[in-house]
Amino acid sequence: MTAVSQSAKKKIKAGSFSLNRFGTGTQSVFHLVLAAFSLMCIIPFIFVIIIAFSSEESIRQIGYSFAPLSWSTQAFTYTFQLGNALWRSYFNSFLITAVGTLLSVSITVLYAYPLFRRDYRFRNFFNFLSFFTMIFGGGLVPTFVICKSVLGLSDNYAALIVPMLFSPFNVIIMRTFLQTTVPTELIEAATIDGSGEYSTLLRIVLPVVKPGIATIALLVSLAYWNEWFLSLLYLNKNMEIMPLQYLLMRMQRNADFLAKNSSMLGADAAKAAAQLPSQSLKMALVVFIVVPIACAYPFFQRYVVAGLTIGSVKG
Amino acid sequence: MKKFLSLILTLALILSVCSFAAADDLPTITIMFHGSNVSDDSAVLEKVNEYIADKVGAKLEVIWGTWGDFDEKAVNALTSGDKDVDIVFTCSWSSDEYNSYAKKGYFLKLDDLIEQYGADLKAAIPESLMQAATIEGAEGKGVYAVNGFKDTATQNTWDVNVTLLTELGYTVDDLMAKGFFGWDEIFAKAKEVKGDSFYPFLVEPMVAERMVTNSIIVAGDAGSTNLLSLYLNPEDVSADGIYGNKLVNKFGTPEYKAFAEQMHKYYEAGYIDPALSVGETSNDCRTNHQKDASYLIGTQSYAFGYEYSADVLARGAEIKFVPCTDPYVDTTASQGAMMAINSASEHPEEAFKFLALLNSDPTLMTLMNYGVEGIHYTLNDEGLVIFNDEARATYSPWTNGVGNVTILPDTASEGKGFRKSFQEYYAGAKGIPSLGFVFDNSPVENEMAALGNVAAQYALALDCGAVDPETELPSFLAALDAAGMEAYLNEANAQLEAYLAK
Amino acid sequence: MTALQAKDRRRLGLRSFAATKKTFWLTTMMLPGAVWLLLIRYLPMFGIVIAFKNYRAFRPNTFWNNIVKSEWVGLKNFEFLKSPDTGIMIRNTLGYNLLWILLGLVISVAFAVMMSELTTRFLAKTYQTMMFFPYFLSWVVASYFVLAFLDPTSGMIPFMQKAAGQKVTNFYHDTTWWPLILTICNLWKNLGYSSVLYLAAITGIDTTQYEAAAVDGATKWQQIWHVTLPGIRPMIVILLIMNVGKIFNADFGLFYNVPQNSGSLYPVTQVVDTYVYRAYANTHNLGMSSAAGFLQSFIGLICIIGANSLVRKIDPDSSLF
Repeated sequence: MTAVSQSAKKKIKAGSFSLNRFGTGTQSVFHLVLAAFSLMCIIPFIFVIIIAFSSEESIRQIGYSFAPLSWSTQAFTYTFQLGNALWRSYFNSFLITAVGTLLSVSITVLYAYPLFRRDYRFRNFFNFLSFFTMIFGGGLVPTFVICKSVLGLSDNYAALIVPMLFSPFNVIIMRTFLQTTVPTELIEAATIDGSGEYSTLLRIVLPVVKPGIATIALLVSLAYWNEWFLSLLYLNKNMEIMPLQYLLMRMQRNADFLAKNSSMLGADAAKAAAQLPSQSLKMALVVFIVVPIACAYPFFQRYVVAGLTIGSVKG
Repeated sequence: MKKFLSLILTLALILSVCSFAAADDLPTITIMFHGSNVSDDSAVLEKVNEYIADKVGAKLEVIWGTWGDFDEKAVNALTSGDKDVDIVFTCSWSSDEYNSYAKKGYFLKLDDLIEQYGADLKAAIPESLMQAATIEGAEGKGVYAVNGFKDTATQNTWDVNVTLLTELGYTVDDLMAKGFFGWDEIFAKAKEVKGDSFYPFLVEPMVAERMVTNSIIVAGDAGSTNLLSLYLNPEDVSADGIYGNKLVNKFGTPEYKAFAEQMHKYYEAGYIDPALSVGETSNDCRTNHQKDASYLIGTQSYAFGYEYSADVLARGAEIKFVPCTDPYVDTTASQGAMMAINSASEHPEEAFKFLALLNSDPTLMTLMNYGVEGIHYTLNDEGLVIFNDEARATYSPWTNGVGNVTILPDTASEGKGFRKSFQEYYAGAKGIPSLGFVFDNSPVENEMAALGNVAAQYALALDCGAVDPETELPSFLAALDAAGMEAYLNEANAQLEAYLAK
Repeated sequence: MTALQAKDRRRLGLRSFAATKKTFWLTTMMLPGAVWLLLIRYLPMFGIVIAFKNYRAFRPNTFWNNIVKSEWVGLKNFEFLKSPDTGIMIRNTLGYNLLWILLGLVISVAFAVMMSELTTRFLAKTYQTMMFFPYFLSWVVASYFVLAFLDPTSGMIPFMQKAAGQKVTNFYHDTTWWPLILTICNLWKNLGYSSVLYLAAITGIDTTQYEAAAVDGATKWQQIWHVTLPGIRPMIVILLIMNVGKIFNADFGLFYNVPQNSGSLYPVTQVVDTYVYRAYANTHNLGMSSAAGFLQSFIGLICIIGANSLVRKIDPDSSLF
């Protein structure tokens, strides 16, 4: 016993990285389990890439397959032919995601911090104000009416950002992060030092809760990046600001609709159906959507999440 | 942070104010189309606005709804009382379904406006179409939408791959002589020649069911899976069918049982692709096999000129569409593409004038549909339209959804006189005896919700033959009974009797 | 806002200047979020009455006027629950949710703990990144992937069955395997996400606690049990409560797209959301869908309040409110 604690102490003093680790055997088991599940998660994505490069003929004959009969880059060539529309929607998606994430994370942190403060008087009131909307909402149409006719959210970037600026779920997650990572004494000490509330939040609390903020930022940016329904509702005439995800969803939904209702629409619609993008093109667009966010994810881990270095023990 | 938020809100506010300020003295009317593929309408709208400034006294703006987003956009705009949408596409099969939305007060009754401004419109559209649009709405009996003049009759056809059929040593006449119940031998031979993974019978199961049993879609019935049926007389569509003018549970008839049993035989023998029997894979599967003509017999809801359409020609085989019956006019087909005025619109008169012009004036219709001459198309020596594919890629609305297609010029690919023959073909179509009847499902809405779910559970698999009707059909019928089929039928029949008595 | 300040002023005499100042500044932090909530969430809530009305258009046709003039119909919009399918859809919704809440909790906490204990940091990061991938893909795309395995003609499993001379299973007409398939899909999609939340919570645990435990001679397993798990307990509890609040809601895409909307599978795939969707597709009745939404919220509220008061008795610090 003493030997163990002695060596542990030594390690801590030496700033050693491992503080009483699992043995190689246990570690291997962990690796095995996690690697197996990780593979399960990544294979569908590889599958999507394979379909994107499969020839149309192969999909027609044997369906979606890991081993297509023949390969083709046609889908990508076609995608690039979308040209301006594609790059513009890319730009829009980036802009909406960046601005939306910045604003949303700020609002979330600002809202969650006082909720975490036990000594805040209106804590319960604001907590309930936010929580209640997680359960009850006015529904799609009433929200649309307020957003469009009262707030003027229509055919502008604001319409694609404002309606999802705030999420009670994220506030609760953030509050929980604060509870588990920020000791109350820290804030008391700051207050005694005469630090103002904003400066306590910015200088003392934020550095400690970085992993939490990074996690929230990740969730929010994903939500913005994948959002297309807001575009469907609020974009009517100004298609210049259409994000990428909506471009894809429109193609997808058009194809579905035409296939389902072919018997109702006459010869002209059949022509439209014939011109629709193929399955491989749809997958190519999925690749276009997933790749940027997948690339951004390690970025979150490496730069933003300075504190979230897995397995490291901060000391 | 507050600054940011208020900045955004102010910005939004300024933008919305700007859009008001931008409009000059002419009011703006906005129309929402269905199924368009338009990314650049600037050239067209410029011409249109020039053209209609005096005639309509308004400027036009367009919301180009696509196939995939129209339903949600339209329902949202209408139910939220959005005054920024003046004219909206509606019909018997879209989510903003004509009859129920007119009944709920979302559409303006047009009779007075027609009286005042609609002389040209009345001349351009056949009386029968006006009749089909005349329904019992929120403001009493009247016309609640301008009915587009398009393929206004239904005709289901067998879609036959003649190239393959000839290769197998049969003719189309052989096929029709044997009939649906006698195709075993031909299918077996096709399978023998083309290999085990070839599926000769490419059906849209619900359509096949209507073709074999001679049942039709009843307007106002559950949309996703029809429950009710009227039966046609295949020899004379304007005469009563085998059950007369009575609505029956379409799954409870001996005709349906015979159909399902035969389909099951075909399915078990491997003549039908199993993917056709599953909701979401069915349509993709059919489209894929159609593209390279990898089928022998298929089903197709036909529209005049379909065999000349690009995708049929591109299949790489000779395709013939063999009709089951003459084209028939039923309520569903005669309400197939319409334009209604939103009752929240602030400019109903201008909106109507525009609609009347669109449906009677070839210049405006051609402009809206085919684009600007010299940009989107050119005319050849014979005066036929030749499309400029590049410009058309940014501007191709769904022709049927825009209005009166019979006043469009002929295109080079369709040939001279196409529109005239088109018009004649449909003018000659006969109406079914109960033409104009629309089932008002609101008294039995909950039953319909439950029945629709039950039917969605069983119908497709049975129609496609994927399950054994011996065991599944009785449990299907029992589930329908439990979900209130009898009350649903009684209500529908009472309404039909009342309608026919008038 | 003005109300709060008025309240502040009234109590000014009773509270110290510092306390009031603190309250004031903290309240200003809430404002952006609170304003958003009031405008985007609370203002539209008058729409809830649609669930109890026969909503239709009147003259003048504005949303507000339509709501006011539409007649009250009591609970008529809730009558869709009289359907014989109701039992099945409620059983499926609750059953899957309960199972998945438990499974998801256990496995994602286990994954998070495992990842936090790996010494090879590069691999740990790689796993974490990969596990997040399903979260990027929509259910529609995921359904193609499932189809590649199960398709009766070209799917991998039927293909192997054919090769082995066995009878081919027509998965899309056979309910046997679907509870398992749906469970795998659900875990596949959500584990990465929830384990990231837990992992972030674990990294936030004060390391001196581990040091103290190590000094006391606790083995690694004991440290996990006595330090890690209690450390992330608030996160576990919060996520649990919130999941319980969604017990009557189902992930639509999972139950609709992944089984390819196959009718034969409804006995094991019909949930409240899919039923209402299908019913709405036929009736286009805004009142009915509002009623269904209201019902889901109402049941969620009751469950959350129940779960929360239970938590408050056991561990007041972790409760939601």
